[in-house]
Amino acid sequence: MRVDVLLFGPIAQRAGRASVPVEVAEDGATLAHVRAELNRIEPELARDLASCRLAVNHAFAGENTQIQTGDEIAVIGFVSGG
Amino acid sequence: MQSLSVSIVDAPLAANTATRSLAGAGAVVVFDGVVRSLEGARSITGLRYETYDPMAQHVLTALAQEALDKFGLMEIHVEHSRGLVAAGECSFRLRIASPHRREALDAMDWFIDRMKQDAPIWKTPEFSTDGDAPPPANPVQPEPEAKVPS
Repeated sequence: MRVDVLLFGPIAQRAGRASVPVEVAEDGATLAHVRAELNRIEPELARDLASCRLAVNHAFAGENTQIQTGDEIAVIGFVSGG
Repeated sequence: MQSLSVSIVDAPLAANTATRSLAGAGAVVVFDGVVRSLEGARSITGLRYETYDPMAQHVLTALAQEALDKFGLMEIHVEHSRGLVAAGECSFRLRIASPHRREALDAMDWFIDRMKQDAPIWKTPEFSTDGDAPPPANPVQPEPEAKVPS
């Protein structure tokens, strides 16, 4: 299945885009698979991505989280609110 | 009865005019985060805030609810800007009411620390074009100044 992974802030600026389309297996795909695909598609971001957290449906989620069709996945880098 | 609200709004926050006293509250603490005019030695015209709105709303609401329970607060209200906020203007406001001052002050620190760790909000300085040197490659983000009314 295809998921569009959302990017924000400095990581989006470095990527030059606000989302990255990623293909993962229909069954059993986890956030770890999504991260591996992101690293493959955007190798120049791999170092930055290593320190980023991933979120599914607006909540931080661990690498073993299984993803489903329609999930909203986002890369959350270093934040700076306030 | 407890009260909680979170709002993310375009541009700067209006001046704080809330003066209502809450029955039973012995402390009402308001923090205004104000954009400084300097980033290091360079002047900026403002900060541009980017928010991942649905998650920011979710995270800030969860933190506010946790603060209500953890510190026994009566009220917590959160406002944060998105978009450009000029230097000198308010980009973040936290209003907390509690029976005693200690809970309100502790909750204030706790909430702001957690927000800065987890709320998906990013800021980028807008530098003045008055002949300053070019910005550094990885600028350090300035912290807003705190204004706590006495």
